[in-house]
Amino acid sequence: MELLDFFLRSREAQRALQQARARLYRVAYSWCHSAALADDLVQETLTKALRKSAQLRDPKARDAWLFTILANCYRDHFRRLREMEDIDEIEISHEATPETESSSAEIVSLVRAAIARLPQAQRQVVTLVDLEGFSYVEVTQILDVPIGTVMSRLCRARNAMRTMLLPDMQQHAVVNPSLPNIRRVK
Amino acid sequence: MSQEKCYSDEFLNAFVDDQIAAEEKSRAYIEFGQNEALNRQVCELRKLHDLVQLAYREPPTPPERAASGPSVRRARLRFAVAASVLLTLGILLGGLIRLPGPATTPQANTAPTVAPHRVVAAPHKAMAMTTAARKTNVAVAPAPERVPIASVAGAQSALAIPAAAAPATPVLVVAQSTSPGSVQAKVLVHLARDDAALLSQALDDIEGLLKHYRATHQTARVEVVVNGKGLELVRIDTSAFAARIQRLQRDYDNLTFAACQNTIDRLAREQGIIVRLLPGVITIDSGMAEIMRRQNQGWTYLQV
Repeated sequence: MELLDFFLRSREAQRALQQARARLYRVAYSWCHSAALADDLVQETLTKALRKSAQLRDPKARDAWLFTILANCYRDHFRRLREMEDIDEIEISHEATPETESSSAEIVSLVRAAIARLPQAQRQVVTLVDLEGFSYVEVTQILDVPIGTVMSRLCRARNAMRTMLLPDMQQHAVVNPSLPNIRRVK
Repeated sequence: MSQEKCYSDEFLNAFVDDQIAAEEKSRAYIEFGQNEALNRQVCELRKLHDLVQLAYREPPTPPERAASGPSVRRARLRFAVAASVLLTLGILLGGLIRLPGPATTPQANTAPTVAPHRVVAAPHKAMAMTTAARKTNVAVAPAPERVPIASVAGAQSALAIPAAAAPATPVLVVAQSTSPGSVQAKVLVHLARDDAALLSQALDDIEGLLKHYRATHQTARVEVVVNGKGLELVRIDTSAFAARIQRLQRDYDNLTFAACQNTIDRLAREQGIIVRLLPGVITIDSGMAEIMRRQNQGWTYLQV
Protein backbone atom coordinates (compact mmCIF):
# COMPACT_ATOMS: atom_id res chain seq x y z
CA MET A 1 0.00 0.00 0.00
CA GLU A 2 2.88 2.32 0.74
CA LEU A 3 4.22 1.69 -2.73
CA LEU A 4 0.81 2.45 -4.20
CA ASP A 5 0.57 5.65 -2.18
CA PHE A 6 4.01 6.62 -3.38
CA PHE A 7 3.01 6.20 -7.03
CA LEU A 8 -0.26 8.01 -6.51
CA ARG A 9 1.51 10.89 -4.84
CA SER A 10 4.04 10.94 -7.62
CA ARG A 11 1.31 11.00 -10.27
CA GLU A 12 -0.52 13.72 -8.42
CA ALA A 13 2.63 15.79 -8.16
CA GLN A 14 3.32 15.41 -11.88
CA ARG A 15 -0.24 16.42 -12.71
CA ALA A 16 0.04 19.47 -10.46
CA LEU A 17 3.29 20.46 -12.13
CA GLN A 18 1.70 20.11 -15.54
CA GLN A 19 -1.19 22.31 -14.51
CA ALA A 20 1.16 24.93 -13.08
CA ARG A 21 3.09 25.17 -16.30
CA ALA A 22 0.82 27.76 -17.94
CA ARG A 23 0.83 29.94 -14.84
CA LEU A 24 4.57 29.75 -14.52
CA TYR A 25 4.97 30.65 -18.15
CA ARG A 26 2.68 33.64 -17.84
CA VAL A 27 4.63 35.05 -14.91
CA ALA A 28 7.96 34.22 -16.50
CA TYR A 29 6.91 35.99 -19.66
CA SER A 30 5.81 39.03 -17.68
CA TRP A 31 9.28 39.15 -16.16
CA CYS A 32 11.39 38.79 -19.27
CA HIS A 33 8.97 39.54 -22.16
CA SER A 34 10.65 36.89 -24.25
CA ALA A 35 8.60 33.84 -25.12
CA ALA A 36 11.67 31.69 -25.69
CA LEU A 37 13.38 32.73 -22.48
CA ALA A 38 10.17 32.35 -20.51
CA ASP A 39 9.70 28.87 -21.86
CA ASP A 40 13.28 27.97 -20.98
CA LEU A 41 12.83 29.31 -17.48
CA VAL A 42 9.65 27.31 -16.99
CA GLN A 43 11.31 24.20 -18.35
CA GLU A 44 14.22 24.63 -15.98
CA THR A 45 11.83 25.31 -13.12
CA LEU A 46 9.83 22.16 -13.73
CA THR A 47 12.96 20.10 -14.13
CA LYS A 48 14.26 21.30 -10.78
CA ALA A 49 10.85 20.82 -9.21
CA LEU A 50 10.67 17.23 -10.38
CA ARG A 51 14.18 16.55 -9.16
CA LYS A 52 13.57 18.12 -5.77
CA SER A 53 9.96 17.05 -5.35
CA ALA A 54 10.89 15.19 -2.17
CA GLN A 55 11.71 18.52 -0.54
CA LEU A 56 8.09 19.65 -0.75
CA ARG A 57 6.57 18.69 2.58
CA ASP A 58 3.24 20.52 2.33
CA PRO A 59 1.41 20.13 -1.00
CA LYS A 60 -0.59 23.28 -0.23
CA ALA A 61 2.61 25.29 -0.48
CA ARG A 62 3.37 23.87 -3.92
CA ASP A 63 2.54 27.09 -5.79
CA ALA A 64 4.79 29.29 -3.67
CA TRP A 65 7.49 26.62 -3.88
CA LEU A 66 7.28 26.49 -7.68
CA PHE A 67 7.43 30.26 -8.07
CA THR A 68 10.37 30.35 -5.69
CA ILE A 69 12.21 28.00 -8.01
CA LEU A 70 11.18 30.15 -10.96
CA ALA A 71 12.50 33.28 -9.25
CA ASN A 72 15.78 31.53 -8.53
CA CYS A 73 16.07 30.35 -12.11
CA TYR A 74 15.38 33.86 -13.32
CA ARG A 75 17.98 35.30 -10.99
CA ASP A 76 20.52 32.68 -12.00
CA HIS A 77 19.88 33.43 -15.64
CA PHE A 78 20.80 37.08 -15.24
CA ARG A 79 23.71 36.24 -13.00
CA ARG A 80 25.11 34.15 -15.79
CA LEU A 81 24.65 36.99 -18.24
CA ARG A 82 25.87 39.95 -16.20
CA GLU A 83 27.60 38.94 -13.06
CA MET A 84 28.68 42.42 -12.01
CA GLU A 85 25.32 44.16 -12.18
CA ASP A 86 22.75 44.33 -9.44
CA ILE A 87 19.81 42.55 -10.92
CA ASP A 88 17.37 44.57 -8.86
CA GLU A 89 18.31 47.63 -10.85
CA ILE A 90 18.15 46.10 -14.28
CA GLU A 91 15.55 47.58 -16.58
CA ILE A 92 14.58 45.86 -19.74
CA SER A 93 15.07 48.39 -22.45
CA HIS A 94 12.01 49.47 -24.25
CA GLU A 95 13.32 48.28 -27.58
CA ALA A 96 13.95 44.83 -26.19
CA THR A 97 10.30 44.25 -25.49
CA PRO A 98 8.27 42.40 -28.05
CA GLU A 99 5.79 45.21 -28.10
CA THR A 100 7.20 48.51 -29.25
CA GLU A 101 5.81 52.02 -29.46
CA SER A 102 4.39 51.27 -32.86
CA SER A 103 1.81 49.02 -31.25
CA SER A 104 1.11 51.30 -28.33
CA ALA A 105 -2.42 51.82 -29.56
CA GLU A 106 -3.33 48.56 -27.97
CA ILE A 107 -3.83 48.54 -24.26
CA VAL A 108 -2.18 45.19 -23.85
CA SER A 109 0.96 46.42 -25.51
CA LEU A 110 0.88 49.57 -23.42
CA VAL A 111 0.64 47.65 -20.19
CA ARG A 112 3.33 45.18 -21.20
CA ALA A 113 5.59 47.99 -22.20
CA ALA A 114 4.98 49.74 -18.90
CA ILE A 115 5.78 46.64 -16.92
CA ALA A 116 8.85 46.06 -19.04
CA ARG A 117 10.11 49.47 -18.06
CA LEU A 118 9.88 48.66 -14.39
CA PRO A 119 12.98 47.56 -12.53
CA GLN A 120 13.14 43.82 -12.35
CA ALA A 121 12.53 43.62 -8.60
CA GLN A 122 9.39 45.74 -8.86
CA ARG A 123 8.25 43.84 -11.92
CA GLN A 124 8.49 40.55 -10.10
CA VAL A 125 6.49 41.78 -7.13
CA VAL A 126 3.70 43.36 -9.14
CA THR A 127 3.27 40.36 -11.41
CA LEU A 128 3.28 37.86 -8.57
CA VAL A 129 0.62 39.84 -6.74
CA ASP A 130 -1.54 40.84 -9.69
CA LEU A 131 -1.23 37.81 -11.93
CA GLU A 132 -1.03 34.99 -9.44
CA GLY A 133 -2.74 36.62 -6.48
CA PHE A 134 -0.01 35.71 -4.02
CA SER A 135 -0.22 37.30 -0.61
CA TYR A 136 2.55 39.59 0.50
CA VAL A 137 3.81 36.92 2.87
CA GLU A 138 4.05 34.41 0.04
CA VAL A 139 5.92 36.91 -2.09
CA THR A 140 8.45 37.40 0.70
CA GLN A 141 9.05 33.66 0.67
CA ILE A 142 9.27 33.45 -3.10
CA LEU A 143 11.66 36.35 -3.55
CA ASP A 144 13.36 35.98 -0.18
CA VAL A 145 12.97 39.64 0.79
CA PRO A 146 11.34 41.29 3.85
CA ILE A 147 7.64 42.09 3.70
CA GLY A 148 8.36 45.82 3.99
CA THR A 149 10.47 45.57 0.85
CA VAL A 150 7.65 43.79 -0.93
CA MET A 151 5.17 46.51 0.00
CA SER A 152 7.48 49.34 -0.97
CA ARG A 153 8.40 47.75 -4.28
CA LEU A 154 4.76 47.15 -5.07
CA CYS A 155 3.91 50.70 -4.18
CA ARG A 156 6.63 52.14 -6.35
CA ALA A 157 5.78 49.84 -9.22
CA ARG A 158 2.13 50.84 -9.25
CA ASN A 159 2.93 54.50 -8.94
CA ALA A 160 5.23 54.22 -11.92
CA MET A 161 2.64 52.31 -13.90
CA ARG A 162 -0.01 54.84 -13.05
CA THR A 163 2.26 57.58 -14.30
CA MET A 164 3.03 55.71 -17.49
CA LEU A 165 -0.33 54.21 -18.30
CA LEU A 166 -3.18 56.37 -17.15
CA PRO A 167 -2.28 59.55 -19.07
CA ASP A 168 -1.65 57.49 -22.18
CA MET A 169 -4.97 55.77 -21.85
CA GLN A 170 -6.76 59.08 -21.32
CA GLN A 171 -5.03 60.38 -24.39
CA HIS A 172 -6.00 57.26 -26.25
CA ALA A 173 -9.62 57.87 -25.27
CA VAL A 174 -9.47 61.40 -26.57
CA VAL A 175 -8.09 60.25 -29.93
CA ASN A 176 -11.59 59.29 -31.02
CA PRO A 177 -13.75 62.29 -30.13
CA SER A 178 -16.33 61.29 -32.68
CA LEU A 179 -17.36 58.31 -30.55
CA PRO A 180 -20.42 59.17 -28.48
CA ASN A 181 -20.08 59.05 -24.75
CA ILE A 182 -23.52 57.51 -24.44
CA ARG A 183 -24.01 54.23 -26.22
CA ARG A 184 -27.16 52.35 -26.81
CA VAL A 185 -26.82 49.06 -25.02
CA LYS A 186 -30.06 47.45 -26.01
CA MET B 1 -4.43 66.41 8.92
CA SER B 2 -6.47 65.37 5.94
CA GLN B 3 -7.81 61.85 5.42
CA GLU B 4 -5.61 61.35 2.39
CA LYS B 5 -2.58 61.68 4.59
CA CYS B 6 -3.97 59.14 7.02
CA TYR B 7 -3.67 56.35 4.46
CA SER B 8 -0.27 55.69 2.97
CA ASP B 9 0.21 54.34 -0.52
CA GLU B 10 1.29 51.03 1.00
CA PHE B 11 -1.99 50.84 2.90
CA LEU B 12 -4.03 51.59 -0.21
CA ASN B 13 -2.18 48.90 -2.11
CA ALA B 14 -2.73 46.43 0.72
CA PHE B 15 -6.41 47.41 0.72
CA VAL B 16 -6.71 46.70 -3.01
CA ASP B 17 -4.81 43.43 -2.66
CA ASP B 18 -6.97 42.33 0.27
CA GLN B 19 -4.02 42.09 2.63
CA ILE B 20 -5.53 43.89 5.62
CA ALA B 21 -7.83 42.66 8.35
CA ALA B 22 -11.57 42.66 7.72
CA GLU B 23 -12.32 45.09 10.51
CA GLU B 24 -9.80 47.60 9.24
CA LYS B 25 -11.04 47.12 5.71
CA SER B 26 -14.65 47.86 6.62
CA ARG B 27 -13.59 51.04 8.39
CA ALA B 28 -11.57 52.09 5.36
CA TYR B 29 -14.56 51.44 3.09
CA ILE B 30 -16.62 53.95 5.04
CA GLU B 31 -13.96 56.62 4.90
CA PHE B 32 -13.18 56.05 1.23
CA GLY B 33 -16.87 56.56 0.47
CA GLN B 34 -16.70 59.98 2.04
CA ASN B 35 -13.47 61.04 0.29
CA GLU B 36 -13.49 61.42 -3.46
CA ALA B 37 -9.69 61.62 -3.82
CA LEU B 38 -9.08 58.41 -1.85
CA ASN B 39 -11.84 56.72 -3.74
CA ARG B 40 -10.24 57.70 -7.02
CA GLN B 41 -6.84 56.41 -5.88
CA VAL B 42 -8.30 53.06 -4.95
CA CYS B 43 -10.10 52.89 -8.27
CA GLU B 44 -6.89 53.59 -10.14
CA LEU B 45 -5.04 50.90 -8.24
CA ARG B 46 -7.79 48.40 -9.03
CA LYS B 47 -7.69 49.48 -12.63
CA LEU B 48 -3.96 48.84 -12.75
CA HIS B 49 -4.51 45.45 -11.18
CA ASP B 50 -7.03 44.58 -13.89
CA LEU B 51 -4.80 45.95 -16.63
CA VAL B 52 -1.90 43.74 -15.56
CA GLN B 53 -4.16 40.69 -15.63
CA LEU B 54 -5.51 41.72 -19.03
CA ALA B 55 -2.03 42.24 -20.44
CA TYR B 56 -0.91 38.70 -19.66
CA ARG B 57 -4.14 36.83 -20.06
CA GLU B 58 -2.91 35.36 -23.31
CA PRO B 59 0.86 35.43 -23.44
CA PRO B 60 2.42 34.53 -26.79
CA THR B 61 2.85 30.87 -27.51
CA PRO B 62 6.38 29.73 -26.76
CA PRO B 63 8.45 28.77 -29.78
CA GLU B 64 8.76 25.13 -30.69
CA ARG B 65 11.11 23.66 -28.19
CA ALA B 66 14.34 22.18 -29.36
CA ALA B 67 13.41 19.15 -27.32
CA SER B 68 11.02 18.14 -30.04
CA GLY B 69 13.88 18.00 -32.50
CA PRO B 70 16.83 15.68 -32.72
CA SER B 71 17.00 14.76 -29.04
CA VAL B 72 13.42 13.64 -29.02
CA ARG B 73 13.96 11.76 -32.23
CA ARG B 74 17.01 10.10 -30.71
CA ALA B 75 15.02 9.18 -27.62
CA ARG B 76 12.27 7.73 -29.76
CA LEU B 77 14.83 5.81 -31.78
CA ARG B 78 16.39 4.40 -28.62
CA PHE B 79 12.96 3.41 -27.40
CA ALA B 80 12.16 1.72 -30.68
CA VAL B 81 15.45 -0.18 -30.68
CA ALA B 82 14.97 -1.29 -27.09
CA ALA B 83 11.42 -2.42 -27.83
CA SER B 84 12.59 -4.37 -30.88
CA VAL B 85 15.34 -6.12 -28.92
CA LEU B 86 12.93 -7.02 -26.15
CA LEU B 87 10.40 -8.33 -28.66
CA THR B 88 13.02 -10.46 -30.38
CA LEU B 89 14.26 -11.86 -27.09
CA GLY B 90 10.70 -12.64 -26.08
CA ILE B 91 10.04 -14.52 -29.30
CA LEU B 92 13.28 -16.50 -29.01
CA LEU B 93 12.64 -17.34 -25.38
CA GLY B 94 9.10 -18.38 -26.16
CA GLY B 95 10.35 -20.63 -28.94
CA LEU B 96 12.97 -22.21 -26.70
CA ILE B 97 10.43 -22.89 -23.98
CA ARG B 98 8.05 -24.56 -26.41
CA LEU B 99 10.72 -26.75 -28.01
CA PRO B 100 10.70 -30.27 -26.53
CA GLY B 101 14.16 -31.38 -25.48
CA PRO B 102 15.72 -34.32 -23.70
CA ALA B 103 16.57 -32.21 -20.70
CA THR B 104 12.92 -31.43 -20.14
CA THR B 105 11.65 -35.01 -20.26
CA PRO B 106 10.36 -36.42 -17.00
CA GLN B 107 12.97 -39.11 -16.98
CA ALA B 108 15.75 -36.60 -17.30
CA ASN B 109 14.30 -34.61 -14.47
CA THR B 110 14.87 -37.43 -12.06
CA ALA B 111 18.42 -38.06 -13.11
CA PRO B 112 20.15 -35.15 -11.36
CA THR B 113 19.40 -36.60 -7.94
CA VAL B 114 21.65 -39.52 -8.72
CA ALA B 115 24.11 -38.37 -11.34
CA PRO B 116 23.82 -34.73 -12.38
CA HIS B 117 26.40 -35.13 -15.14
CA ARG B 118 24.04 -37.49 -16.90
CA VAL B 119 21.11 -35.15 -17.14
CA VAL B 120 21.53 -34.69 -20.83
CA ALA B 121 21.69 -38.39 -21.43
CA ALA B 122 19.33 -40.13 -23.78
CA PRO B 123 15.94 -41.12 -22.40
CA HIS B 124 16.80 -44.77 -21.98
CA LYS B 125 19.75 -43.92 -19.78
CA ALA B 126 17.72 -41.56 -17.72
CA MET B 127 15.19 -44.32 -17.45
CA ALA B 128 17.79 -46.67 -16.12
CA MET B 129 18.77 -44.16 -13.52
CA THR B 130 15.17 -43.73 -12.56
CA THR B 131 14.80 -47.44 -12.09
CA ALA B 132 17.86 -47.47 -9.94
CA ALA B 133 16.51 -44.63 -7.92
CA ARG B 134 13.28 -46.44 -7.39
CA LYS B 135 15.03 -49.58 -6.24
CA THR B 136 17.12 -47.76 -3.75
CA ASN B 137 14.43 -45.27 -2.71
CA VAL B 138 16.57 -42.30 -3.68
CA ALA B 139 13.97 -40.60 -5.88
CA VAL B 140 14.30 -37.28 -4.10
CA ALA B 141 12.95 -35.16 -6.93
CA PRO B 142 10.39 -37.26 -8.75
CA ALA B 143 9.18 -36.30 -12.17
CA PRO B 144 5.46 -35.62 -12.58
CA GLU B 145 4.69 -39.08 -13.74
CA ARG B 146 6.91 -40.54 -11.05
CA VAL B 147 5.14 -38.87 -8.19
CA PRO B 148 2.76 -41.76 -7.58
CA ILE B 149 5.69 -44.12 -7.45
CA ALA B 150 7.37 -42.09 -4.78
CA SER B 151 4.18 -41.97 -2.82
CA VAL B 152 3.72 -45.66 -3.36
CA ALA B 153 7.10 -46.28 -1.88
CA GLY B 154 5.71 -44.91 1.34
CA ALA B 155 2.57 -46.94 0.98
CA GLN B 156 4.62 -49.99 0.39
CA SER B 157 6.15 -49.72 3.79
CA ALA B 158 2.69 -49.69 5.29
CA LEU B 159 0.93 -52.27 3.19
CA ALA B 160 3.33 -54.25 1.08
CA ILE B 161 6.14 -54.85 3.47
CA PRO B 162 9.18 -56.38 1.76
CA ALA B 163 10.65 -59.39 3.48
CA ALA B 164 14.04 -57.76 3.45
CA ALA B 165 15.51 -54.54 2.23
CA ALA B 166 16.37 -54.52 -1.43
CA PRO B 167 20.09 -54.81 -2.06
CA ALA B 168 21.08 -51.34 -3.09
CA THR B 169 24.59 -51.94 -4.27
CA PRO B 170 23.90 -54.47 -7.04
CA VAL B 171 21.14 -52.29 -8.47
CA LEU B 172 23.36 -49.25 -8.53
CA VAL B 173 25.99 -51.31 -10.25
CA VAL B 174 23.42 -52.10 -12.89
CA ALA B 175 22.62 -48.48 -13.47
CA GLN B 176 26.25 -47.46 -13.59
CA SER B 177 27.38 -50.33 -15.74
CA THR B 178 24.66 -49.73 -18.27
CA SER B 179 25.92 -47.06 -20.48
CA PRO B 180 23.21 -45.17 -22.33
CA GLY B 181 24.35 -45.92 -25.78
CA SER B 182 24.94 -49.61 -25.22
CA VAL B 183 21.46 -50.79 -24.21
CA GLN B 184 20.45 -52.78 -27.20
CA ALA B 185 17.28 -54.47 -25.92
CA LYS B 186 14.53 -53.37 -23.60
CA VAL B 187 11.90 -55.95 -22.89
CA LEU B 188 8.85 -55.66 -20.71
CA VAL B 189 7.15 -58.90 -19.68
CA HIS B 190 3.60 -58.57 -18.44
CA LEU B 191 2.25 -61.18 -16.01
CA ALA B 192 -1.40 -60.97 -15.02
CA ARG B 193 -2.29 -64.64 -14.36
CA ASP B 194 -1.56 -67.03 -11.54
CA ASP B 195 -1.32 -70.23 -13.49
CA ALA B 196 1.72 -71.96 -12.00
CA ALA B 197 2.65 -73.75 -15.19
CA LEU B 198 2.32 -70.57 -17.14
CA LEU B 199 4.42 -68.65 -14.65
CA SER B 200 7.07 -71.32 -14.68
CA GLN B 201 7.14 -71.21 -18.43
CA ALA B 202 7.37 -67.44 -18.31
CA LEU B 203 10.30 -67.56 -15.91
CA ASP B 204 11.99 -70.04 -18.18
CA ASP B 205 11.51 -67.75 -21.11
CA ILE B 206 12.81 -64.76 -19.19
CA GLU B 207 15.89 -66.62 -18.03
CA GLY B 208 16.48 -67.88 -21.54
CA LEU B 209 16.20 -64.38 -22.85
CA LEU B 210 18.69 -63.06 -20.31
CA LYS B 211 21.08 -65.86 -21.07
CA HIS B 212 20.84 -65.14 -24.75
CA TYR B 213 21.66 -61.47 -24.23
CA ARG B 214 24.55 -62.35 -21.98
CA ALA B 215 25.88 -64.90 -24.40
CA THR B 216 25.70 -62.53 -27.28
CA HIS B 217 27.25 -59.75 -25.19
CA GLN B 218 24.24 -57.54 -25.66
CA THR B 219 23.25 -55.16 -22.98
CA ALA B 220 19.61 -55.52 -22.21
CA ARG B 221 17.05 -54.60 -19.63
CA VAL B 222 14.17 -56.82 -18.74
CA GLU B 223 11.33 -55.64 -16.55
CA VAL B 224 8.65 -58.01 -15.34
CA VAL B 225 5.46 -56.18 -14.50
CA VAL B 226 2.98 -58.11 -12.38
CA ASN B 227 -0.56 -57.07 -11.65
CA GLY B 228 -3.89 -58.66 -11.00
CA LYS B 229 -3.54 -62.34 -10.24
CA GLY B 230 0.02 -62.22 -11.46
CA LEU B 231 0.92 -60.47 -8.22
CA GLU B 232 0.97 -63.84 -6.49
CA LEU B 233 4.23 -64.54 -8.25
CA VAL B 234 6.04 -61.97 -6.14
CA ARG B 235 4.17 -62.29 -2.84
CA ILE B 236 6.07 -63.99 -0.05
CA ASP B 237 3.08 -65.89 1.15
CA THR B 238 1.86 -67.10 -2.22
CA SER B 239 4.83 -67.25 -4.56
CA ALA B 240 5.79 -70.70 -5.70
CA PHE B 241 8.94 -69.36 -7.28
CA ALA B 242 10.44 -67.20 -4.55
CA ALA B 243 13.80 -68.91 -4.59
CA ARG B 244 14.00 -68.84 -8.34
CA ILE B 245 13.09 -65.19 -8.53
CA GLN B 246 15.75 -64.29 -5.96
CA ARG B 247 18.29 -66.34 -7.86
CA LEU B 248 17.41 -64.64 -11.12
CA GLN B 249 17.74 -61.25 -9.52
CA ARG B 250 21.07 -62.21 -8.07
CA ASP B 251 22.38 -63.60 -11.34
CA TYR B 252 21.01 -60.90 -13.62
CA ASP B 253 21.28 -57.39 -12.38
CA ASN B 254 19.46 -56.11 -15.48
CA LEU B 255 16.28 -57.89 -14.43
CA THR B 256 13.57 -56.04 -12.50
CA PHE B 257 10.35 -57.25 -10.96
CA ALA B 258 7.74 -54.52 -10.57
CA ALA B 259 4.48 -55.01 -8.71
CA CYS B 260 1.36 -52.95 -9.34
CA GLN B 261 0.46 -50.80 -6.35
CA ASN B 262 -3.14 -50.58 -7.49
CA THR B 263 -3.44 -54.34 -7.14
CA ILE B 264 -1.80 -54.23 -3.73
CA ASP B 265 -4.21 -51.55 -2.61
CA ARG B 266 -7.18 -53.42 -3.99
CA LEU B 267 -6.20 -56.58 -2.14
CA ALA B 268 -5.91 -54.62 1.08
CA ARG B 269 -9.19 -52.84 0.50
CA GLU B 270 -11.33 -55.73 -0.74
CA GLN B 271 -9.80 -58.76 0.91
CA GLY B 272 -7.89 -57.26 3.80
CA ILE B 273 -4.66 -58.82 2.60
CA ILE B 274 -1.49 -57.01 3.59
CA VAL B 275 0.79 -57.84 0.74
CA ARG B 276 4.43 -58.61 1.49
CA LEU B 277 6.64 -58.68 -1.53
CA LEU B 278 9.76 -60.69 -2.19
CA PRO B 279 13.06 -58.92 -1.61
CA GLY B 280 14.12 -56.72 -4.51
CA VAL B 281 10.65 -56.38 -5.97
CA ILE B 282 9.76 -52.79 -6.52
CA THR B 283 6.31 -51.24 -6.71
CA ILE B 284 4.94 -49.06 -9.43
CA ASP B 285 1.87 -46.89 -9.31
CA SER B 286 -0.04 -48.81 -11.95
CA GLY B 287 0.88 -51.84 -14.01
CA MET B 288 -1.04 -50.64 -17.03
CA ALA B 289 0.44 -47.18 -16.82
CA GLU B 290 3.92 -48.65 -16.60
CA ILE B 291 3.29 -50.74 -19.69
CA MET B 292 2.16 -47.71 -21.62
CA ARG B 293 5.12 -45.64 -20.45
CA ARG B 294 7.60 -48.31 -21.42
CA GLN B 295 6.02 -48.78 -24.81
CA ASN B 296 6.24 -45.09 -25.41
CA GLN B 297 9.90 -45.31 -24.52
CA GLY B 298 10.49 -47.98 -27.12
CA TRP B 299 10.40 -51.09 -24.99
CA THR B 300 9.32 -54.42 -26.40
CA TYR B 301 6.10 -55.65 -24.81
CA LEU B 302 5.57 -59.35 -24.14
CA GLN B 303 2.40 -60.59 -22.51
CA VAL B 304 2.41 -63.93 -20.82
